[in-house]
Amino acid sequence: MRIIVHNTKCQGHARCWAHAPDIFKLDDEGYILPGDIKVAEKDERLASQGARSCPERALVIDLTAAA
Amino acid sequence: MRKNQIASNPLPDHVPPEMVRDFSLFTSPGMAPTANGDPHAAVACVHDGPPIFYSPNNTRDGQGTWVITRAKDQRTVLQDTETFSSHRSIFASALGENWPMIPLELDPPAHGIFRSLLNPLFSPQRVTALEPAVRERAVALIDSIAAAGTSCDLMKEFAFPFAVNIFLRFLGLPDDRLTTFVGWGKNLFHGDVPKRLAAAQRIVAFIDELAALRRKVPGDDFMTFVVQAQVQGRPLSDEEVRGIGVLVFAAGLDTVATAIGFDLAYLARNQKDQEWLRSEPDRIVLAAEELLRAYPTVQIIRVATKDIDFEGAPIRKGDYVSCASMIANRDPAEFDCPNTINLAREHNRHTAFAYGPHRCLGSHLARREIVIGLEEWLARIPPFRIKEGTAPIAHGGHVFGIENLILDWS
Ligand code: HEM
Ligand code: SF4
Repeated sequence: MRIIVHNTKCQGHARCWAHAPDIFKLDDEGYILPGDIKVAEKDERLASQGARSCPERALVIDLTAAA
Repeated sequence: MRKNQIASNPLPDHVPPEMVRDFSLFTSPGMAPTANGDPHAAVACVHDGPPIFYSPNNTRDGQGTWVITRAKDQRTVLQDTETFSSHRSIFASALGENWPMIPLELDPPAHGIFRSLLNPLFSPQRVTALEPAVRERAVALIDSIAAAGTSCDLMKEFAFPFAVNIFLRFLGLPDDRLTTFVGWGKNLFHGDVPKRLAAAQRIVAFIDELAALRRKVPGDDFMTFVVQAQVQGRPLSDEEVRGIGVLVFAAGLDTVATAIGFDLAYLARNQKDQEWLRSEPDRIVLAAEELLRAYPTVQIIRVATKDIDFEGAPIRKGDYVSCASMIANRDPAEFDCPNTINLAREHNRHTAFAYGPHRCLGSHLARREIVIGLEEWLARIPPFRIKEGTAPIAHGGHVFGIENLILDWS
C-alpha cells in the first residue's frame, strides 16, 4: 500500500501523526513531510486510519501499489 | 423573519427572497443565554433545509451572511482563500483603526509568511514538551478543589484558572492579573458595543506596553520571540507585533476553558459515558475529539472577493459567508448520526479548529489541555453531576459559551 501525499493541501492538523507518528512524519512547523509514503504490510491498518483522519483530504490511500 | 428586522436590515438586491431563512446564531431560539440550554443541538435544525441560505442578521453587529451548512462546502470555502478572504480587520475597525490581526485577518501569501514564523512555537512536537507543566497545573487546581468540599463552580474554580494560567505562562504574563484578563475576554467576545470597545482598547494598550517592555527586557517567552523575530530579512513592524500579540491573547483566553466546560457538563449529565472514561482513561483522547465535534465554539466568517455562484447561491463581491463550525460538525452527510454523541467515534474529521490555511494555530496546545484536564478531573473527582437546584447557562453567538456550571459529588 502507498499513501499519496498532497502537500499543498496539508494544513498541519497532525491527525495522521497522532495515529502513527512513525509513518506520518512532520516537519518543524508540524506539517507533513513531502513525498508519498510506502507502507509495510504490517502497518497498513494504522496507516489507513491515519490517512482517513485527515480533515483536509491531503492523504489518499493507493491500494494498487505494492510496498 | 420578523418584520422589524426587514425594516432595520434591508436585504441586498441580489439575494433571492426564497433563499432567505429565519435563522441566526444570535437571535434564533436557543441562542440567548438559556438555563440548561443546548445551543449546539438548536443549530443542527438547519440540516433539514438547503445547503446554503441567507441569514439577514448573523453577525455581532447585525449584518447578513450566507450560511454554508455542509462540511464539504465549508471545506471548499475555507480552502479557497482567493475567493473567500479573511481580510476584515474586525478588531481594529471596532476602534476606528485599520490593522490586521495576524495571521487571522491576512490572506496568502502574506498569511503563510507569519504562519511559518509562528508554527514551530505551536507544533505538536513543541506542545509535547509543555505537557508536564500543564498536568502539574491541572493536578494542583483539582486537588485543592477536592480538598475544599464536594462541589464547585467549574468555570471559575477550574476551567478558567487552568486554561488561562497555561496560556499566560506561555505569553510570559504574570498570574495575578488572571481575573482582569478573563474579564477583558468576556467583554470582548460577549459584551455590548461600548464594553467591546473598552476591552479592545485595553488589550491593545496592554500588548503595546508588553511589547515595549520585552524590547527592553527580553524574557524567555512568546512576546520576546515576536519582538525579536524577522520575516523576509527584516524585523516586524510595531503594527505587526501588535497584530500578533492581540490575536494570540484574544484567541487563547477563553476558548479552551469553554471547551472544558461543555465537555464536563456533558459528562455530568451522562453518567455512563463518565464512568466509561473514568475506568478506561485511554479512551479520553478519542472522546475529546468527539466532544470537540459536538461542542465547537467558533463561527468562521469570510468575505467574497468576487462574484461567484456557489451551489445555486448568487454570492456577490463583499458578501459575508459564514462557516459555523457548530453547523458543519452536525452535518449528516459527513458524520453518521451527527446528533448522537458517540465517544468512540472514529474518523472524526470535524472542523472545530477550522479547515484550510487558518487552521487554529493553537489547536495542538488546546487538544493537550482538554485531554489533560479531563484525565486529571476524572482521576481525582468521584462521579459528579450538575448540582441539584442549579442550571448551567449556555448561549450561542459568534463564540458559543457556558456559565454557572456547578458540579456536585456529595
Ligand atoms: C478549544 C479551543 C480552541 C478552538 C475551538 C479554536 C478555534 C479556532 C478556529 C475555528 C480558528 C479559525 C478562525 C478562522 O479561520 O477565521 C482558530 C484560529 C486561531 N486560533 Fe484557535 N481555537 C482554540 C484555541 C486556541 C488557543 C489556545 C490558541 C493560542 C494559544 C489559539 C490561537 C489561534 C490563532 C493564532 C488562530 C489564527 C490562525 C490563522 O489565522 O492562521 N486558538 N481557532
Ligand atoms: S492530517 Fe492531513 S493536514 Fe494534518 S498533518 Fe496530516 S496530512 Fe497534514
